[in-house]
Amino acid sequence: MTSLYAPGTEDIRQRLRPFGFFFEKSLKDLIKGIRSHNETPEKLDQFFKQVLSECREEVNSPDLNSKTNAVLKLTYLEMYGFDMAWCNFHILEVMSSNKLQQKRVGYLGASQSFYKDSDILMLATNLLKKDLKYDGNNDVVKVGIALSGLSTIITPSLARDIADDLFTMLNSTRPYIRKKAITALFKVFLQYPEALRDNFDKFVSKLDDDDISVVSAAVSVICELSKKNSQPFIQLSPLLYEILVSIDNNWIIIRLLKLFTNLSQVEPKLRAKLLPKILELMDSTVATSVIYESVNCIVKGNMLEEDDFETAMTCLERLHTFCDSQDPNLRYISCILFYKIGKINTDFISRFDQLIIRLLSDVDVSIRSKAIELVEGIVNEDNLKPIIQTLMKQFVDEDVVILQAGNVVYERSKRIPIIIPENYKIKIVNVIISICSGDNYSSVNDFEWYNAVIIDLAMLCQEISDKTLGYKIGEQLRNLMIKVPSMREVTITNIIKLISEESINRQLPTIMRECIWCLGEFSALVENGDDLIKVMIGNTGYYSHSVQEVLILALLKIFSNWCNNVQEDKGIEVELMLKELIKFFENLSFSSTFEVQERSVEVLEFLKLSLEALEEDSDGLPMLLSEVLPSFFNVYELAPIARGTQSKLEIDEAIDLETPFLTKEECDELLNDQKIDSMGSDLISDTSMDEQGDPEYIDYSDTSYEEKEKLNDHDNPFEIERKKERMTNPYYLDEEDEGNAEKSKDLLVLSEDDSSKTKPETIRLNRQDNDLKSLSLFTVENGEEKKSKKKKKKRVQVLSDQPVVEITSKKKEVSPNPHGNETSTTSTKIDKINLKMRSKLENFDFSNFGTSSNSVKESQQGGDLKEDDDKELNRSEGKLNENGNKNDFSDAEEVIVIKKKKKGKKSKSKIKQKSKKENSPESKE
Amino acid sequence: MTQLRYLILVSRQGKIRLKKWYTAMSASEKAKIVKNLTPTILARKPKMCNIIEYSDHKVVYKRYASLFFIVGVTPDVDNELLTLEVIHRFVETMDTYFGNVCELDIIFNFNKVYDILNEMVMCDGSIAESNKKEVLHHVTVMDTMESNDNLERVLS
Repeated sequence: MTSLYAPGTEDIRQRLRPFGFFFEKSLKDLIKGIRSHNETPEKLDQFFKQVLSECREEVNSPDLNSKTNAVLKLTYLEMYGFDMAWCNFHILEVMSSNKLQQKRVGYLGASQSFYKDSDILMLATNLLKKDLKYDGNNDVVKVGIALSGLSTIITPSLARDIADDLFTMLNSTRPYIRKKAITALFKVFLQYPEALRDNFDKFVSKLDDDDISVVSAAVSVICELSKKNSQPFIQLSPLLYEILVSIDNNWIIIRLLKLFTNLSQVEPKLRAKLLPKILELMDSTVATSVIYESVNCIVKGNMLEEDDFETAMTCLERLHTFCDSQDPNLRYISCILFYKIGKINTDFISRFDQLIIRLLSDVDVSIRSKAIELVEGIVNEDNLKPIIQTLMKQFVDEDVVILQAGNVVYERSKRIPIIIPENYKIKIVNVIISICSGDNYSSVNDFEWYNAVIIDLAMLCQEISDKTLGYKIGEQLRNLMIKVPSMREVTITNIIKLISEESINRQLPTIMRECIWCLGEFSALVENGDDLIKVMIGNTGYYSHSVQEVLILALLKIFSNWCNNVQEDKGIEVELMLKELIKFFENLSFSSTFEVQERSVEVLEFLKLSLEALEEDSDGLPMLLSEVLPSFFNVYELAPIARGTQSKLEIDEAIDLETPFLTKEECDELLNDQKIDSMGSDLISDTSMDEQGDPEYIDYSDTSYEEKEKLNDHDNPFEIERKKERMTNPYYLDEEDEGNAEKSKDLLVLSEDDSSKTKPETIRLNRQDNDLKSLSLFTVENGEEKKSKKKKKKRVQVLSDQPVVEITSKKKEVSPNPHGNETSTTSTKIDKINLKMRSKLENFDFSNFGTSSNSVKESQQGGDLKEDDDKELNRSEGKLNENGNKNDFSDAEEVIVIKKKKKGKKSKSKIKQKSKKENSPESKE
Repeated sequence: MTQLRYLILVSRQGKIRLKKWYTAMSASEKAKIVKNLTPTILARKPKMCNIIEYSDHKVVYKRYASLFFIVGVTPDVDNELLTLEVIHRFVETMDTYFGNVCELDIIFNFNKVYDILNEMVMCDGSIAESNKKEVLHHVTVMDTMESNDNLERVLS
């Protein structure tokens, strides 16, 4: 019999709950369940499905307890990747509970799950407003909980509403509330900067709080705010300095250092006062993190002048001891700081080359990859070889770490192999190339060795997926070829080695573009070009269109050199080769790439004509091959010029590029003349067109040599054709027309070119047995002779033509000007931190104090005005330097500042500064 | 002082024990980070440094027993050594709170762990309370208030 007073089952459950009796699955059950069901993934999946459906039900229950429980479980399941956004409204319900326990769970769920859901956020805003309402009671904890959820929910309107409450909380007697209020204000300031402007003093007074954790929170908040906008906090510097001097809590010291780093970036005057104190701090403290932060502060706060060797050495010495420590973290962070200091002035770190070389072989690859960035700063003629040796070794050898385990008696050492990741290998290749080629190969004194390095790199790069490395290595080969004439035989031998290596062609086809170009351009060095041509034709399948473009002309060049170098009795071989080439080009002339098609058709027509001529005239080579073909290419030696030089050339006003050479009448007249002349009908007028296509042209050049002479005098069609060829060829490095006659004076005359021509050291491509060793042997014979030459020729330089440089430097001077004027924006930096809602603080103008702001501040403002001019100057100077540097080194990948150039810039910026002084009052208005 | 982006606790088997995001990220971004980072960090050898670079930020991690504490930090803003110190403080605090903390404690009391974390790292991971006592005090105060709640309910 059931009495009226007998409680129902539901009621009993309710009453038992506070004692820990639950009838739903508790979190504990859930976790245990997951642990017991994890034998197979299917079983686990099944379990999750079941639990989730249970949760779905429970979360809908009217009982807040089981709802809370469900939310908690869902929060846990979220870690397993189950989305819980669907129950956001339930979470909200739990958050609004009066029970602390439930509130906590609700806020926890909210912080894990709420994300840019505007409906939820609006409701949550109201809830938070209520929770943060401070009435002096025992709401401390509630506030604390609300705060943890605040950061995900805060909006500008909420910030405005709660700001006043939070400021009253600052006066609370309990430090915990003061602290929480300060941290909450941080989020408010980000959304609603007016609150900070109007209550600045109130907030700042918390820096004097008796409770250390309140001070700590205040310093932290100011530090965070100064990252976004440091301008308003500069006036606090004396106060902060006092704290820094008096306090002995390392946590706060580090925060203060961070803060000063931010302040000193906008206010260089702080340096004089801060630097001695920081150095003193570095000496007195034992905490590594404080030392690290001090160095960081000096470097990032622009306190290290580029000629301040004393400070730099103090910092670097400390870092040096870090690098010697057992702790890999210390080694890692010191590497990073080394790099930053090296950026200020490379000379600072250059004396630490031994250390850096040692770090290159650190057991930790991430330290190695940091150290490798430093290498550029320390490299010189003497240590280049060992550095590169170390790096190359890492490619091949498998390093092991020896782990000492156990005590001395049982010294078991475990050997763990170090796995070198591919991106580190890529870094190695890039660094090797950049340190060797840096400053126009000034560190390389043995090019034979460098040649070997490059070839090794090519071999090693085959396995790396980043195929752009092929281009870079190819470029190096090309540079060697052009810039170091004495090494050409060696280099071309190596290139031939590469091109006959099937695996390279297959795995690193990107290297071939430059290789093939070199072979073509310097084919005079190769004796049996026919074999080389066959090799190249055989490999075509691997080449992309961009390589084929180069290949076409290269083949022609090789052929030209070969058929003119062969002895008299090779007429038939030439014919065979011609046929083979024609066949090859016929295939290519159907290429889908326009460039390839055009080039191959051009060449094809010429070769066909040559073949015809050859068949007709059996004694010796036809003129087309012996005279015309070489004249396409062999007029003068190519010289190296800097990349992009051509685009920098100023257009000479004196040169008339508009007016046609011939007036219309003259042109007509000429055409009429030609009609009369039966021999070369439209030859002359058509010089710019493909003259090879004209069948009559053949008779012309073949039959009467005098006629051809005349033609050369007149307009020289070959010259024009050659120019046309060059235009289409991206490797055409030097354009010597009248416009840059001055430039040619700067071309370093390669004096010994002639000697190499008169004494041809041709290389035989030993194709029959494909024995590459015999190739290299051949060149070694001449090794000694070359070494003596090399010393002299080492200083082959990239040309820098004077007028071009002047133009760019003029530009540099002009460009900072607009930046200098908008100094107000210099302090606001681009904010990288991804906040849920964009903070308004960064671009908030603090100078515009509201009516409620007190007069003290305004008078301070007035006082600051005088300083403003100086500040502005300083800032604009900094800006100028910055800009100048950017321009200077925009193309250098690792921006290590070169001292000499910077000095030059400085003097310029000083001049600018003077002119700024006159301008600044106006810009103030 | 610190600008943490996230804190993840991962067991040696690669199971996630705790996740806390301090910057707003979409679910897929979060999943990607977890998916990429876990194997990288688990694969690292004991003698290697505890700082790695991952996409646009740095990751500081530290292993305690079978758990890896992984923290994403903002480069050039954070002090990596200090981040390690924060992790250590966190572990110390948990150790005091649970009394010789182990992985199971964290699994079964994950909401408590969140509470401790919230007391230590506040406001989008930018402020850390370094005083262990302070943190513990407030967590226990909250706990007692919670049990008071329960008591009241029983009595009512």
